[in-house]
Amino acid sequence: MDQNRGNWYLITGLILGLILGLVYSWVISPVSQVDTHPNLLRTDYKDIYRSLISRAYQANNNLPRAEARLDLIGDDEPALALAAQAQRFLAEGGDHEMAVILANLSAALQSSEAAENTPVPPTGTAAASDSDENPTAAEEDTEENGGNNLDSTSTMEPVSSQTPPPTESPPFILQDSSPICDPTLSESLIQVIATNSAGDGIPGVAIQISLGSDPKEVFYTGLKPELGLGYADFSAEPGLSYQVEIPDSGLIVSDIEVPTCQNESEESYWGSWEIYITHPN
Amino acid sequence: MSRWSLFFIVLLLGLGLGLLYGWVINPVSYQDTTLDTLRIDYKTDYTLMVAEVYHQSNDLDWAMNRLTLLKNKTPLHTIEESLKFAAQVEYILPDMFLLRDLHNALKENN
Repeated sequence: MDQNRGNWYLITGLILGLILGLVYSWVISPVSQVDTHPNLLRTDYKDIYRSLISRAYQANNNLPRAEARLDLIGDDEPALALAAQAQRFLAEGGDHEMAVILANLSAALQSSEAAENTPVPPTGTAAASDSDENPTAAEEDTEENGGNNLDSTSTMEPVSSQTPPPTESPPFILQDSSPICDPTLSESLIQVIATNSAGDGIPGVAIQISLGSDPKEVFYTGLKPELGLGYADFSAEPGLSYQVEIPDSGLIVSDIEVPTCQNESEESYWGSWEIYITHPN
Repeated sequence: MSRWSLFFIVLLLGLGLGLLYGWVINPVSYQDTTLDTLRIDYKTDYTLMVAEVYHQSNDLDWAMNRLTLLKNKTPLHTIEESLKFAAQVEYILPDMFLLRDLHNALKENN
């Protein structure tokens, strides 16, 4: 009986020691947070990081470098993450310029992906083939999740980008402007689709919308890449008459009103309005 | 050996095992970290991005604001650390020039 008592207090001591050790190492003095990786950043810091990557891309037009940097953040779909951040930014009343910068990088990534998926004849430059054959060190670093080779990313030779420079409201012409009845839309929208002569969506096109003498609001194509690079929409209210303008193009579409539609059961619902604009070149 | 001595020896053994487990085998893994905790190579690339933007915009206030997020003593200190690391790992010259330009601008502003 005495022997059993002795064993128990030794086990109690061991367990007590273990608990004290764990409390100290996990709570009181945990491993200090230094030398961390960008994919561990808090959401708001990831937003700052993405914004900075987008601004740097705007400055140097170096898409491979921007891609390598975005890979470090660890988003599943970097282009969508950028577009979502641009939308959040606008919704929170952030400045339009930043939203466009984010959208432009998002669009450039999507264009690049589309170009990669399209077979092209082997006419690339040496720089381009280098970049194809040698994945960036930062990409490898992301896979390893902590390898010490970002320095190689920073020393990448800039390569020419397949992405055209950001679009600044080229002279568009109106293709179509009409009310639509789409019961799948959860709200009434003024939808604008900007395309080039080949039918490809053009991101970053500024669209001004006004309501009578109220101040104009500006929105941009490409902020919802899942709906198309040239797509933009604005939530409209029934009973009001809107005017859409493409600045610098002299293109104005007036008298846009939410139409009344009927579904198969002859119940009324509010429809939307679609505007197709195209770049003649 | 008395019971108390044995108890404390076992207690210390448990403490050691607990520390080993909590610090080495299964340390606290951080998620929501801040920019100032980034490893030096990522901090240097962050600084390079600021330098790239500054080179185009010449907006020193914006650049200082971004560098402040790294929570060094001063933005100048941040860029000096970055320059040192960039030289160590042999950044390409255009990038070194960008960092140097921002460094000079911050120094003049001081």
